[in-house]
Order: sequence, then C-alpha cells, then structure tokens
Amino acid sequence: MMHPRAGYGGLVAFLARHEWRVLSSSAITRVVLVVFAMVLLIAGLLGAARTLRERETVRTFEQRAVQQRLQTTAIRADVAANERGWLALLPPSALAALAVGQGDVYPNYIKVTARSLDAMVSGDQIEHPQAVASGAFDVAFVILFLYPLLIFAISFDLTASERDRGTLRMVLSQPVTLGQVVAGKMIVRALILAVPVVAIPIAVAATASPLDAQFVLRGVTWTMAVLVYGFVWHGLALVVNARGLSAPANALVLAGLWLLLSVVGPSFVNLAIAVQYPMPSRVQAAVEARNATQEATVQGSQQLGQFLQDHPTSANVGRDGMRQFAMLQASRDQRVADRLQAVEASFDAQLRRQRQLASWLSLLSPTMVAQVALLDIAGASTYRFDHFREAVSVFQRDWRSFFEPRVLDAATLTPAEYAAAPTWHYQPELPVFMINRVMLRVVALAALAAVLWWVGFKRYEGYQL
Amino acid sequence: MGAFWTIAVKDATEIWRDGRFRWAAGLLLMLIIAAVAGGVHNQSQIARQHADAQQAERDVWLDKGDMNPHAAAHYGAFVFKPVQPLSAIDPGLDPFVGVFVFLEAHKQQLARHRPIEDATPTRRLGQLTPASAALVLLPLLVVSLTFSSVAAERDQGTLRPLLAMGVSRASLLAGKALGAMLPLAAVILPASAVGAAIVFWNAPADPDAPIGVRAFGMAVVYLAHAVIWIAIGITVSARARSQGAALVVLLALWFANAFMAPPLAMAAAKWFDPSPSALEFAASIQDEKDTWPTWDQRVDGVMERFLEGEFESTMAPSNVEVVALLESEADETALYDRRFAELFDLYAKQARTFERAAIVAPTLAARSLSMAFAGTDEAHDRQFADAAGRYRSAMLTTLNSELAASGRVNTFDYVRGRDLWEQVPPFDYDVPFARWALAERWLSAAVLALWLVAAAVAAAWSVATMRVE
Repeated sequence: MMHPRAGYGGLVAFLARHEWRVLSSSAITRVVLVVFAMVLLIAGLLGAARTLRERETVRTFEQRAVQQRLQTTAIRADVAANERGWLALLPPSALAALAVGQGDVYPNYIKVTARSLDAMVSGDQIEHPQAVASGAFDVAFVILFLYPLLIFAISFDLTASERDRGTLRMVLSQPVTLGQVVAGKMIVRALILAVPVVAIPIAVAATASPLDAQFVLRGVTWTMAVLVYGFVWHGLALVVNARGLSAPANALVLAGLWLLLSVVGPSFVNLAIAVQYPMPSRVQAAVEARNATQEATVQGSQQLGQFLQDHPTSANVGRDGMRQFAMLQASRDQRVADRLQAVEASFDAQLRRQRQLASWLSLLSPTMVAQVALLDIAGASTYRFDHFREAVSVFQRDWRSFFEPRVLDAATLTPAEYAAAPTWHYQPELPVFMINRVMLRVVALAALAAVLWWVGFKRYEGYQL
Repeated sequence: MGAFWTIAVKDATEIWRDGRFRWAAGLLLMLIIAAVAGGVHNQSQIARQHADAQQAERDVWLDKGDMNPHAAAHYGAFVFKPVQPLSAIDPGLDPFVGVFVFLEAHKQQLARHRPIEDATPTRRLGQLTPASAALVLLPLLVVSLTFSSVAAERDQGTLRPLLAMGVSRASLLAGKALGAMLPLAAVILPASAVGAAIVFWNAPADPDAPIGVRAFGMAVVYLAHAVIWIAIGITVSARARSQGAALVVLLALWFANAFMAPPLAMAAAKWFDPSPSALEFAASIQDEKDTWPTWDQRVDGVMERFLEGEFESTMAPSNVEVVALLESEADETALYDRRFAELFDLYAKQARTFERAAIVAPTLAARSLSMAFAGTDEAHDRQFADAAGRYRSAMLTTLNSELAASGRVNTFDYVRGRDLWEQVPPFDYDVPFARWALAERWLSAAVLALWLVAAAVAAAWSVATMRVE
C-alpha cells in the first residue's frame, strides 16, 4: 500500500494523510474543532463590534472639534487654549479587534491645554471594575487559555491506545519508523488547530480595520507569535506522550501542566511580584506632591489676589489687568508644575524600575510571555498608551508655543488666527519598534518549542511498544 | 454505624493512600497559606499607607495658612479609600478601582489611580488570593476526588454487588459524599486555621471594623460552594458512561465556571447596558455645562434680581458675585452628582446581570458574595464614593457660606485661617454592616442556595436512577 519510492518526507506526508482520516472521524476532534471555531468567532465578532464603535466615536469627536473651530467667530485666547483646549484622540489599532488588553484601563483621549499645570488632562477609562478584573472575552484570551487545553485534548492519546491495542506494532511492521509515524501525527494535530486559530481571528480583524501596512505587518507578527505559542504546547504534549504512560495518565499529567503553567504559575508569580516588588504607592506620591507644591500654591494664590485667581472677568480689571493676571497665573503654574514634575519623575523612575524587576519573573510561564507579546502586537499594551502620551506631549508643546504669547497678551483671536492653531494627527508607532520588543519573546518561545519537540522525538526513540 | 459510614471510610482511605492526592492536597494547602500570608502582607501595607496619607493630608489642610475661603475650596482635599481588613482574603475589585478622590470646587471626579494602571501587564492574568484558591483551585481538587466516586465502582463491576448486599442508594450517596468531604477536610481545616491565625495576628488598624460576621459569611460561602461541587461531581460520576467521560465533563464544567463565565457574564452585562467610554462621559458633562450661562451672565442675572429686591437690602453689591458663585457651585454639584449616580446605576445594573449569570455558573454567585462580605465589591466602592461626595459638599458649604456670611464689601481680600479649616471635620468613613452587604447581594445568595439544593437533588436523583452496569 505504500509507494516504494517515497522518501522520508513522502512517508510522513502519507502517514499524516492517514492520521487526518482517523482524526477527522473521531468525535473528540470534531467537538474540539467546532467549539474552538465558535469561541474564536464569538470573541472575534465581539472585538470587531467594539473596534468599529470606538473608531466611530473617535471620528465623531474629531469632526466635532473641527466643526466647533470653524463656527467660532471671536474667542478669548485663554478660553481657546485652555478651557476649550484640543482633544488628542487615539484611534483603535489595526488589530484592536483581537485584544482589549490595557485598553479598558487607559483612556484613548487626552485634553491638551496651553498651561503648564493640567497641560494634559484625561479621566480614567470608564469600565465596570468587575469587567476589568475578569478581563475581556477576546481572541487573545481564547488563544492564551483555551488553545493549549484543546491542543492537549486532541494530543493526550498520541500513541498510547494504539500501543495498548497492539495496532502500533502492526503499523511498524511496515517499512516506517516510529519517528515518522509520530511526526505524521504531530503535523496533523498542529495543522488542524493552527488553521482556525490563524484564519478566523485575522479574517474578523480585517473587517474592522483598513488593510494597510500596519495591518499586514502586525497580522504577520501576530500569526507567528500564535503559532510558536501553539508549538510550545504541542511540544509539551509530545514530551509527555513519549514517557509511555496510558492515555488517561497522559491526560491527567497534561491537565496538571496546563494548570501549573497557565493558572497557578502566573497567579503565583503575580502574588510574588506584589509582595517582593510592590509598585510605588500613588497615595504616598499624592501626599508628596501636595507637600512639594504647597508653598508655591499658597504663595501664588496670595499674589494672584485670592478670589480673583479663580474668577477673572475682563469686566472688572480691563485688558491690562487681564495681562497682569495671565502673567501671574502663568508664573505660578510654572513654579507649581516644576515642583510637581520632580515628584512625578521620581515616581515614574521607581515605577519603571519595579516593572523591570518584575518582568523577569514573568518569563517563568509561556502564557505570561505570550500574553505580553500578543498585547503588544495587537496594539493593546502599555507601550501603545505610553507612545500616545509622548506624542501628545510633543503636540502640547506646539499648542503651547502657539497660544502662550496670545494668552499673556490677553488677546482675542480672530477666526483666521484660531484656524491657524495646531491640530492633532495621530501617527501610529512604526511596527518596527513593536517587532523589536516582541522578537525576543517570540524567539524564546520558538526556541522552547524546538527544544520540546526535539526532546519529544528523542524520547520516542526509547518508546516501549 | 450504617453502610454509608463504611463506604465513606473506605473511599476516604483510598483517596488518602493515593500519592497523587497527597501531592495535590499538599500543594493546594501551601498555595492557600502563601496566598493568605501574601494577602495579609499586602493588605496591611496598603492600609497603613492610606491611614498615614489621610493623617498627613489633614495636617496639610490645617497648616495651609491664611487664604480666602473659596481659594481654600480650590486648594481642595484628598480623601483616601480605607482598606478593608478582609481584603487580605478577597481583594475583589480593590485593585481595579481608584484609591483616592480629590475634592475641589466646581469639579467632581471619580476616584483616581487604580492600582491596575501601575501594575505589570501580566497582572491582568490574575493574582493568587485566598479567595481564588477557594473558588478556583479547591473545586478542581473536588473534581479530582469525585469524578471516579460512582463511575469507578461501575467500571470495575463492584457497584452491583454493593447494591446486592442491601446497601440502599441513599446510604451510597451519603457515603460517597462524606468520602469526598473527609479528605477535603484535610486541606480546608488546616488552611482555615492557619488563615484565621494570620489574619487575627494582623488585627485591623481600625478596631471598629466589623470583621467577625463578615469573615463567617465568607467561610459559609466557600463551604457551600465546595459542597455544590461535590454534588455536581457525584451527579456527573453517576450518569457518565465511564470514569474518563466523567472527568472530561467535570473539567469542562470547571473551566467554564472559573475562566469563561466571568468575562462572558460581563460581556453580556455590557451588551445589555452599554457604558459610555471615558471620552463620551466627559463630553456629555461638558456639553451640559456649555448650555449654562457664562460667569458674566450669571453675575448680571444675580445683579438684576438684587435690584428687583429679591435679596435682603443689607447685601453689599459685590456680594452679588458670591451669590453667583454659590449658585454655580450648587448647579455643578447637582450635575456631577446626577452624572455619577447615572454611571453607578449603570454599574449596578451590570453587576446584576453578572449575578443573574450565576444561574448557569454557580462560581459567579460565590465570587459576588465573597467580595461583598470582604467589602471589596462595586457596591462598597459606591458607598465610599457617595461618602466622599457628601463630604465634598459639606466642605464646600462650610467654606462658601463663610464667604457669604462675611458681609464684606470686598470679598477678594477676605482671608481666613486655621480656625475655619478646623470647622471642616476630618473625613471619617464607616463600612456598612455585613447584613447590608448581604442585602445588596441577595440575588447571589438566593442563587447559591438554589444551586445547593438543586445540586443535592440532582445527586440524589442521579444515584437513585443510575445504571448499575
């Protein structure tokens, strides 16, 4: 029945085709595939709907701001610069449909003003705390948790039952090696899940994003990361199967491994981080900021003439008075902002250091490694929001240098002048930086997968029939 | 001794002799102890930080020197969220809600700086807590104890002889249930003892904090949840084709309860009651404010009313601005109160959907109740937010009415000092009693009780009608 001239590759392909016929007729495989496809589809569609809504909101607010500016006749410089300010908006990323990530924590807008205090204001993202705690039901979640379980569900009985029934011995009486048989089985199992796990999310994400270079580059990186993550779990299954236990024993060991690496491990590591590397306290920072700015605030308030500071009207002081007021307010703001900045800078440095220290602990679990990579690729990680903030602070400098002289002059802007004020355009981070950040993680996962597969095949050489 | 006792002892001994069980139980026990120790450590550290900060803030408030009362309102006050002692057992939503509120004139904010914003991104995968050990890991141990309980007897052909010996199905059920509970007690009892001891030694900083009843409530919830899983385990074991099938079904149920149900329930909650994004929320408040008269218009309006004789004739003309200020402040407070109440009402609706989802996933009910008793759920957060809001308006009333009552011709240079600041009392927040928490989560309590009864009935029915071979 076997083609005599088939080489190693040909034999493996032949065995794989046979395995495909066997697997595709088994009830477990069918259930696994149907469940997997459905869950991926639901998670993907929820994500696509969310992304489209977010894109729409951002567009609406962008148009609104432009409209409002066009309709303004004459406006006081400080009202235009500060009260009205300008909304810097962060549109959803190309793969936003695949992961919510930190998007339910960090806001996607910042209100920019020309002041030194309250230069960039935004409220927290609004989300039920229970929703943040539970995490979103998104594609990233399905891939991180369910995908490994389903890999195990179709791989726990790679050869054990065939060996126990004696059919494996019969197969090996043909001119094939055990290595080739196992290779055929593994390839089919890897492919059977890889097709839905890659195709469904990318197809759904494509409905919610323009198909530009960002989408392609991120899509390719995402696919690679997902595949190597899957190969790690396939590799684990191979190693466990090679130990030669019975099928139920394999299932138990694999379930235990999943529990340890995906659930207990990460949650234990997070507890260890909280105890060993606690993040600096925002509460203490708030008190420090209060103390640092106390003198400048009180002094400034006195200079500004107390009540006037908060309720300037052109009616009671005239334009010269307004100029003087603006100057005083700006210098007080600057003094307070300088002191505040010192406190914030030291807090941020401490926060970065703690996060750095904590991040090595997260290398202990493939789930944690993959989570950080997937969120970054999907544009749902802390990096994206940091990049947004940095870009906005550059814009704020432009905004400020346009408005500051006019505010200090207590000027009133003509429509033409107001129209000449800078506007915000979001430039997404070049994917090369993202690829640079995740490459190490993806390579580490690939290396781990390679080692596991190698160990697995090596162990299979001593498999007791 | 009835037959059930013999069965229970035999099952418990068999389980106990299984090395794998001892490993799993030992590991779980160690994880629970680590979780309690870590939880108490973190909780006491955060509680101390908040208490110190509140004290420091009070000092700053009193020592800020002389200024105009309304400038003092702009100077504002920080209010820090008190940390509940039982958050060491179940931090619940604490890491996901703000830790302090800044109270100031004209603007009202939600509590800011949720710890999750500063945490590493991997924190989103969940942290080991005593509550997660009790509600996620313990049921898994229960599954491993119960999947074979009846199915193994049937697979091995010992079920028929057992029944032929005259053992009633009722005592079989009782024996199997007890047989699973005894080994479980080997984990639960030492874990509870050690946990209680650690929590007790780290007695809360606030001696008034009522933790006794709340801690008891949590223990009842965890126990009820474990019993529900034992009953589910026996039910599936009695009905399944084989031990293997029972294990697969139970593991799938466990995964669905522990991992799929919470995000799916919240996705459904948001589907039924969508919450606005931060952008939309802020814009809707601003839009409403934009429809109000400007400051100058407001002052003119008050002046007109003054000239029409609406106010006492003693009011100096410059106090017109003070009246305008008080009125705008009242409008702003009403606006923010209404908007925040709407948002919190929406959150409450979403939480209700989450509770309803427990009808298909009992672990959700146990989660809601555990957080409620720990004082770390969304309802308790709202209590705190409301208290902060009330404190803000009391503070502003004290300061602004001082301005109005001064009767000064020129309010700009009216300055007050420490004696006025002392009239604003320190922020004091008392956590509501356990029965309030239970009343808020009555639905979860009802659903959990329902599950307890339903699971027990299902187990009895399954054992009564099961195949013998």
